[in-house]
Amino acid sequence: MAGVKLESIVKRYGAVQVVHGINLDVDEKEFVVLVGPSGCGKSTTLRMIAGLEEISDGQLTIDTRVMNRVAPKDRDVAMVFQNYALYPHLNVADNIAFGLRIRKESKDKIAASIKEVSGILGLTDYLDRRPADLSGGQRQRVAMGRAIVRDPKVFLFDEPLSNLDAKLRTQMRAEIKRLHKRLGATSIYVTHDQVEAMTLADRIVVMNDGRIEQLGTPMELFLNPANTFVASFLGSPPMNLVKATLGPGENGPTAHFAGQSMPLAPLDALQNRDGDEVIVGIRPEYVDVATAEDATQVQVNLELVETLGSEALLHATLAGDPFVIKAETQGNAAYLQKVTGFTIKPEMLRVFDAATGHAVPGQDRQAA
Amino acid sequence: MTVENVDKPVETSSFAQPTRVQRIVDHLKREWQIYAMLIPLVIWLLLFLYKPMYGLQIAFKDYSIFRGITASPWIGFEHFHTLFGSEQFVRALRNTFIISFYTLVFGFPMPILLALMFNEVLNQWFRKSTQTIVYLPHFISSVIIAGIVITAFSPSAGIVNTVLGWFGADPIYFLTKPEWFRPIFIGTGIWQEAGFQSIVYLAAIAGVSPTLYESAVVDGASRWQMMWKITIPSILPTILIMLIIRIGNLLEVSFEMIILLYQPATYETADVVNTFIYRQGLQSGQYDFAAAAGLFNAVIAFILVMGANSISKRYSRTSLW
Ligand SMILES: Nc1ncnc2c1ncn2[C@@H]1O[C@H](COP(=O)(O)OP(=O)(O)OP(=O)(O)O)[C@@H](O)[C@H]1O
Ligand SMILES: [Mg+2]
Repeated sequence: MAGVKLESIVKRYGAVQVVHGINLDVDEKEFVVLVGPSGCGKSTTLRMIAGLEEISDGQLTIDTRVMNRVAPKDRDVAMVFQNYALYPHLNVADNIAFGLRIRKESKDKIAASIKEVSGILGLTDYLDRRPADLSGGQRQRVAMGRAIVRDPKVFLFDEPLSNLDAKLRTQMRAEIKRLHKRLGATSIYVTHDQVEAMTLADRIVVMNDGRIEQLGTPMELFLNPANTFVASFLGSPPMNLVKATLGPGENGPTAHFAGQSMPLAPLDALQNRDGDEVIVGIRPEYVDVATAEDATQVQVNLELVETLGSEALLHATLAGDPFVIKAETQGNAAYLQKVTGFTIKPEMLRVFDAATGHAVPGQDRQAA
Repeated sequence: MTVENVDKPVETSSFAQPTRVQRIVDHLKREWQIYAMLIPLVIWLLLFLYKPMYGLQIAFKDYSIFRGITASPWIGFEHFHTLFGSEQFVRALRNTFIISFYTLVFGFPMPILLALMFNEVLNQWFRKSTQTIVYLPHFISSVIIAGIVITAFSPSAGIVNTVLGWFGADPIYFLTKPEWFRPIFIGTGIWQEAGFQSIVYLAAIAGVSPTLYESAVVDGASRWQMMWKITIPSILPTILIMLIIRIGNLLEVSFEMIILLYQPATYETADVVNTFIYRQGLQSGQYDFAAAAGLFNAVIAFILVMGANSISKRYSRTSLW
């Protein structure tokens, strides 16, 4: 096992630069997830680590060895591809054994490895089948098996679950998590699904446009997004962002917007800034809904209630922009239909500078 | 608990299902455009392949152009008896098989090799220019190809004899030597067609998902291993289909080329069934006898196609039909 270190990694295609200096230190046995919107350079970064793309600038180190010019086969990494990349003409056992045969391992060792890996992944009954005769989930497992059997220093995953349906995805997600616990292998996992990122990662790297926006544990990123991009990317549904102007209020700094106001936490960084533009981030989960009879702090126009079971999503507008609230359904389904506003504790808000999009300093919360 | 609602397999449901004929009519109504596109080909088949079959009966008749096909008397298998009694025909049959066999052995793998080699060429410019060069002979008329070959092997000015001359060898008149005919003929065929035939395999190779190679690269495969373990297995179905077609056409030796290259001195190794038919039928006017030879050829070819197809179906799940 080994760590992976990316220092100012850059990727250019001709004159176009698509990855702009990534710095990332993946510890031994750590599970790091790269997440970001489509086209942000996740796959490119992963492929540079695998050696499938040349590194234009910067330095890649795996386990103390500089890998920039090392051939993929000598990097001792295994990669799981989105479309599984199974060999259609080989059965499951031969697919799993492919990497070992290439490396000319002994027959006994190969047989033992196939047995072990197919046992771990529940593929024992399918060893003679061709990929075409397997379900999507089984194919996915074979792809995993092909990586595991190599016992590499580093596992690389490029959206391995995105071809599966929602239910299977949840199931495989748990399985990958279990596998990682069991094997304890250094893993770098690419996805654009923030739920996958939150559930699998030891640390998440949020990327946008070829750059790292923020890096941290799932809870750090959820509680303390460094900027509005991360705030609007993580969480389902993501954080509501309300444009506001700072102004005076009874208890220190207050956000004013569309004729309403909301007290903010008394941060040093917000003192004496009346008139400055900010963006107030409000997590859909953190608000307490209220109806016309209650004392509401902020008014919204409710448009639609989506009941998901134990929870409901309230789709509303605030100052003309969409605003989503997540509330418990338990015993108040009728009540939710009448919601006209909400209250929220100032310390549950997150304030961003409107000009830069960066979070105002001094408001980070500790993960429980 | 009642059992009435349990699903039982029903023999006939009470719902009216479309009949077979109705289904076909519905299908035709929906897809008639596709069938309309088939019409020219069907007409061509009828006119040029089925109508002439009517004339095949002259193989069993004492045919004369003055009496016409219907009025000529039946004579059963007499022409076939004569055929197998003819030393020339038996020689032609043997030559057909030998030339076909060598063409298959040497000619069939060539386009595959070429395609695999092109696939390994990374420099786009070099790849495109070499591809063009090997495709080119296909677009040149056989007559010109034969002209080039005859010139190249000519004893006086031919490049081959000139080069041999540098090493002190006496000039050889290759095209009059029976032992040289087959190598020259088969080599010419490869030169003319191998490049063009490689397109089919290149297309098959292009259809292989690039992630298979990427995955293999990460697993540590060399280019050589990728060729053996990914490319060749992936194009194997195409290879088999081409092989079936090739075996089916095994007796269709490209006889224009033989006619252009052979001469009485090389009949011994060069005369094949089709050139025999050509000489008997068109040059000597023995239409009935030539038809018998042609029919025999066709029957053998038919057996070969059927045989190749069913063998392939059994062993590789790949077949033409
Ligand atoms: N060969 C190439 N030439 C030029 N640009 C490329 C090439 N390959 C990728 N890019 C560009 O690099 C950027 C990053 O691509 P990449 O595949 O890494 O995105 P991604 O984050 O994996 O997206 P997705 O979630 O859609 O897979 C994209 O803008 C893409 O257009
Ligand atoms: Mg990608």
